[in-house]
Amino acid sequence: LAENNWVDVGSAADLERDGRLVARVNGREVGVVAELDGTLRGIRNRCPHHGGPLCLGRVGERVEGDPGVYELTGRSSLRCPWHGWEFDLETGVCLDEPTLRAAVYPVRVDDGRILLQV
Amino acid sequence: VIDCDIHPQVGDPEELLTHVDPAQREWFRAQGPSLGLPGYSWAHPSSWFRQDIEKNGHPPASDVDAVRRELLDPSGTDAGVLNGDDAVLVSLMPSPYRAAELARAHNEWLRERWLDAEPRLRASILCPAQDPQAAAAEIRRAAEDERFVQVLLCAGADRPYGEPRYLPIFEAAAECGLPVAIHSGGEGMGVAAPPGGAGPVTFYIEWHTLGSACSTMSHLVSLLCHGTFERFPTLKVLLIEGGVAWLPGILWRLDTNWRALRSEVPWLERKPSEVAREHVRFSTQPLEHTDGRDDLLFELLEAAGAPDNLCFASDYPHWDFDDPGFMLNRLPEAWRAKVLHENAAELYGARLGLPAVG
Repeated sequence: LAENNWVDVGSAADLERDGRLVARVNGREVGVVAELDGTLRGIRNRCPHHGGPLCLGRVGERVEGDPGVYELTGRSSLRCPWHGWEFDLETGVCLDEPTLRAAVYPVRVDDGRILLQV
Repeated sequence: VIDCDIHPQVGDPEELLTHVDPAQREWFRAQGPSLGLPGYSWAHPSSWFRQDIEKNGHPPASDVDAVRRELLDPSGTDAGVLNGDDAVLVSLMPSPYRAAELARAHNEWLRERWLDAEPRLRASILCPAQDPQAAAAEIRRAAEDERFVQVLLCAGADRPYGEPRYLPIFEAAAECGLPVAIHSGGEGMGVAAPPGGAGPVTFYIEWHTLGSACSTMSHLVSLLCHGTFERFPTLKVLLIEGGVAWLPGILWRLDTNWRALRSEVPWLERKPSEVAREHVRFSTQPLEHTDGRDDLLFELLEAAGAPDNLCFASDYPHWDFDDPGFMLNRLPEAWRAKVLHENAAELYGARLGLPAVG
């Protein structure tokens, strides 16, 4: 199953259908979600704030702007399903509390399988 | 000592009326001593004023000599800021036109009767907040006299001050380099929302407990959420007489909500508490009594930015006045210079006309 710590966590078809994959690797829940442009990201399925299942959150487009103005930034963020804190999927840093970070893992697709390096 | 909150009283309404446009004077005169300002539904059960200074035949603090004798001289006050007392309620008058005229007249009355008479006195610019364009014009007009060191708004309001309708007021203040003071009072009067969040209250004690604290909190949270300080990076706001013990709690609460609800106010790139530390100051009076746990109060306040955000205020001549000497003893030693002088000196800057500290 594991080669250079690359672990098969599910099929690309399942990921496409469900919008996410969650798997247990070495006793730890990890997940894969897609950014808005389709880039796959691996991230631990545990919110560093309260322990919520992070990967069950929604990937959305980060909104910023000057006072009174809402602007889409083109950048994806993952919003924890519990309290709604947003995470950057590339670094795992919580955008709303930068002292918190969720572990992130490289992802690749190989012959219809999703591999995560953990 | 710099005192951020002294309330001059209008002894004889005719004195103020001389500054009112003759075309409007008759209307104001016809309103009686209130001059058309809304009245309090919840009156103090005995007196709004300190009893020891109400016995000279005139309303307390209605002449400069009394203020010198009772406050400025004994406390060693270097500068004291006059804030219109009942007059702050102009913003709650139904007519913005009468409000604008009374505010202007009151500013002129302050200048002539008080500022010209006593060099230690400074004043706040009264303005009709219900007509923000007119308020901005009055701010710019009055600000030409450097003895006006801040803009004064009434905490009783029909809408919280972060709303975009009020932007002209904050824009004018920022442009003139003036802090905006929001002073408790007027909650539930005229066109203002009731004190607290659950409808009208029964007693003065309820009004005095909730009105000023809840309205002050509302304006603080509103200004922070609307990004007022992102719009005006040099703007400072001084919240007067709303209490301070609640401050750490409300900022922790706001920060917590901001982390989850930031997408609603995406212009807030920093924690609201950080913005508050930089831009918002609080008057000490009335500093809550703590049943002997001042250590706890000061530790909590420190978490919310004290002592850098606290400015001494006496609230003379009101009944819940804080004596500067009493305050000096109550504050931690390391806070005293900042709270009694330095923070206000920084807030008001060069307009104060005092020699720089240190």
